[in-house]
Amino acid sequence: MAVSESHAESEKLHHSHLGRYVAVLAALVVLTVTTYLAAKVHLPAPWNVIVALAIATAKGSLVALFFMHLWDQQGANRLVFATSLVFVALLVGLTLADNATRFPLANPPGSVGALPAPEYVPPPQGGATYQR
Amino acid sequence: MSDATVAPPQLAHHFESLEKQQHAARLGMWLFLATEVLLFTALFAGYGVYRYLYSDTFQQASRHLHTWIGLTNTLILIVSSFTVAAGLDQAAKGKGRNTFRLFMFSVLCGVVFMCFKAYEYTHHFHEGMLPGRYYTYEALGSGPGGAIFFSLYYLITGLHAFHVLLGMTVLTVIGLRARAGRYTTEYFVPVELAGLYWHLVDLIWIFVFPLIYLA
Repeated sequence: MAVSESHAESEKLHHSHLGRYVAVLAALVVLTVTTYLAAKVHLPAPWNVIVALAIATAKGSLVALFFMHLWDQQGANRLVFATSLVFVALLVGLTLADNATRFPLANPPGSVGALPAPEYVPPPQGGATYQR
Repeated sequence: MSDATVAPPQLAHHFESLEKQQHAARLGMWLFLATEVLLFTALFAGYGVYRYLYSDTFQQASRHLHTWIGLTNTLILIVSSFTVAAGLDQAAKGKGRNTFRLFMFSVLCGVVFMCFKAYEYTHHFHEGMLPGRYYTYEALGSGPGGAIFFSLYYLITGLHAFHVLLGMTVLTVIGLRARAGRYTTEYFVPVELAGLYWHLVDLIWIFVFPLIYLA
């Protein structure tokens, strides 16, 4: 079974994909110009990032599926790549969730969610401060 | 298995057939690419955290970069990815010389990409847009956001540029071997794997461009 599958895998590469590559190239150029123009519009705060990442994901999918032939390939290779994407989501998602849910004192001064500067009182000089 | 067919010269003795060997090679490459994705993800996660904490400074900082260079470099990498894919197509038809020409065009694209990057870095160095404590640029306010942005900028684009250089080397070596007729219509898996590496470099830049230049 594995032999026939991997035979099919290499058979598919023997067909000419040139037309498909040209279509993907055109789509990638259009999406790149779109993301550039969308950034020029200056959308309100969360939407600029959402739109930019959505377009980047579309472009990345085109590259992975057609230039990298994941579309034609069998389960194992797709599974490996999909698994890496799960860990991308875990690493980025959990790290951001951690920072987004911290209480104010845990954030460094001057950043979002930190104490405002006037409320920050530096330790008194000469008292029980750390000596360098 | 005992028929008189001669094993192809590329077949390693521990594989039953060339197809199984190529399948194993492909799977191994995908495993390697998965680790590359995770390597960059660590940097993207760091970017995400500080982008969240210093969102205003990060958005200002990205406007102080040359967007046209980022856009041009994106288009250059996309075109170079296309020529690598076309090179694989030619290799599958046994036209190794065309594969060599197309791969060399992609390497040339890589050279142009690196020249733009060098121009950009030089500009940053003169402006004092340096990482961490070497940061002396004054247009982004006094907070630590600007220095952190440029630390992440150099880590992400620097690691990516290193991958571009590696990819250019791989494409040159495999392109030369294709020109020398090392691959046949039955055995061209090295051409495919070299292409996969270059496409990954393109794939990562596709995410670097909006995050760094269009933030």
